Amino acid sequence: MSDFVLTGTGLRKHYRSGERAIEVLRAADITVLAGESVSIRGESGSGKTTLLNLLAGLDASEGGEVAWAGASITGLSNNALAGRRARFLGMVFQAYYLIPEIDALANVLMARRMLGRVGTTERARAAALLARVGLADRAHHLPAHLSGGERQRVAIARALMNEPRVILADEPTGNLDEHTGDAVIEVLLGAGAEQGAALVLVTHNPQHAAKCGRSLRLHEGMLQG
Amino acid sequence: MPWYLYLALKQLFPSGRRIAFFTLASIGGVTLGVAVLIIVLSVMNGFGDEIRQKILETNGDVDVRSEGGIMYDQETVMAKIRGLPEVAAVAPYAQGVVMLQAGNRPSFPFIRGIDVRHEQEVVPLAKFLLIGRVDDLDDDSVFLSSELAASMAVRVGQKVDVYSPLLLERLKKDEILLPRELRVTGIFETGWNQVDSNTVICSLRLMQELYGLKSGVHGVSVRLKPGRDADEFAARLNAQFSGADRAVSWIESNRDFLFVIQLEKNMMMFIMLFIILVASFAIASSLLTAVVRKTKEIGLLGALGGKPRQVAACFCFQGFFIGVAGAVLGIGLAVLALAFRNEVTHTFARLTHSEAALLRFYQFSNLPCSYSPHDFAIITASSIIIATLAGLLPAWRAARLKSVEALRSE
Ligand SMILES: Nc1ncnc2c1ncn2[C@@H]1O[C@H](COP(=O)(O)OP(=O)(O)OP(=O)(O)O)[C@@H](O)[C@H]1O
Ligand SMILES: [Mg+2]
Repeated sequence: MSDFVLTGTGLRKHYRSGERAIEVLRAADITVLAGESVSIRGESGSGKTTLLNLLAGLDASEGGEVAWAGASITGLSNNALAGRRARFLGMVFQAYYLIPEIDALANVLMARRMLGRVGTTERARAAALLARVGLADRAHHLPAHLSGGERQRVAIARALMNEPRVILADEPTGNLDEHTGDAVIEVLLGAGAEQGAALVLVTHNPQHAAKCGRSLRLHEGMLQG
Repeated sequence: MPWYLYLALKQLFPSGRRIAFFTLASIGGVTLGVAVLIIVLSVMNGFGDEIRQKILETNGDVDVRSEGGIMYDQETVMAKIRGLPEVAAVAPYAQGVVMLQAGNRPSFPFIRGIDVRHEQEVVPLAKFLLIGRVDDLDDDSVFLSSELAASMAVRVGQKVDVYSPLLLERLKKDEILLPRELRVTGIFETGWNQVDSNTVICSLRLMQELYGLKSGVHGVSVRLKPGRDADEFAARLNAQFSGADRAVSWIESNRDFLFVIQLEKNMMMFIMLFIILVASFAIASSLLTAVVRKTKEIGLLGALGGKPRQVAACFCFQGFFIGVAGAVLGIGLAVLALAFRNEVTHTFARLTHSEAALLRFYQFSNLPCSYSPHDFAIITASSIIIATLAGLLPAWRAARLKSVEALRSE
């Protein structure tokens, strides 16, 4: 049990549009072992993003439980979770979401700033992570001066900055061409594994899914192996 | 530095770019507001000080009068007051109104009889005299204020007739007293309009004669040593007097007038604070636009582990910073502008060909100015508070954003 770094059991979520209620998640169960990589595929609108939000504690499940490293986070307020989330999770999104006013290195460091002061050790780690994702010479470029693939690699370095136990990646290659997307997935899997972080990768690309240790499908509100 | 302050500074001053337009415009707005406020209030303070200075100079610090109207024991009273440590000088006086006639022009000036010897220690009479010397004043002569002399077309050396109220008094008893014929031996100007427009100065003895006071006077003016509190001194003096005499400070006797000056200034400050308020609306709308524009980034901050109130602090701090920077720059700009105020007014006067008018209508051609730390404190505090409040609404909007929805928004 303690090997599970992330578990979600019986997760439920519905949305209401007008009078119609849409059951997005019915009883989704997921377990992630420390350091493993899991891919999740599913049709558009099947609830993959919703599931990741529940696992990240950004949204509350209507039933069941989410546990981080064996400790339940269900019922905890966003405020109480904020600091723990910064240490436990790294997130990567389809649209990168870099802060435009600061350069690549500062964007990576931003994750660490959330936890307190940043010193030379942290700066060195951020620079090393940027080098790991292949952007050593781009550290002082603003996001606007980076390509999509480069921005996503900065976002990956940022997600890894706080040595998270898990990385949740929501279609990280969705905005990238095939070749760049492949490279980004290589970086995500490689660097994640080196840092000892488990990976939950939501993707539409079967080849990317195949690179993960395990593949799941989200269908009709449930996860199937 | 906490991340939200760091981010706030970075949003105000983005890396690798020259200063952001929003920052420049917002700080500029507050700077101008603060500068204008300080310039106007400092000049008003300058005028106020000048007026207070004139009142003090022409009146003495404290006025002691007898409850009965006429004081006969002035020597004792003066000796007693002179003995007090705060006192620099004392002088007796008698004052009232007379009718003055020169040729066929009558006027009803205020007249003040002074003991020249003592008076000079209380009021710098010699400094005010445009023509004549203090010693020229004897019991058959008068000094006229500049405007009075001008309006009556009297020059030094000419004679004027003085009719005192005593004449009417005697007339009731069917006695006829002839008006006194007096020589004008001096013309003075204090710069204080109220005095210059309509005042006659004569010797105390002459005044006693004109008013039938015998050896009595109307009161004693007291000049305090520099830096002494006139109100406090008057109060202490009153506690010592056993009822027959009353001391009034210059502040108390000019209370209404001083109140109006203060009121004018306060109203000015109140109205001008609206400039900063207007600037703050610009700040609020820019920050609000930024919150909407940055919705996704704000969502991301939540996902990275930021708390809603930290996100709020990030935007509030931007308002606060703009307020502080605007206040500091505004004070700097105001002090700079006031340092060159005379150059500025002279240039302005020359450009509008109004230099002569400026000199004619105001006795001074230089703008007075006086800094009040109290005003600086109020202006700085209110501009910082107003600018911070401007950041509050955007901050609240940002804090209410839910990460999930912010990240999903298009
Ligand atoms: N706030 C909301 N209000 C109403 N419906 C919502 C809301 N958020 C999501 N939905 C609906 O829930 C369903 C699942 O959305 P979700 O974003 O989780 O799908 P997804 O699997 O990530 O899709 P995609 O592959 O296109 O990203 C969709 O039908 C969506 O329309
Ligand atoms: Mg999605």
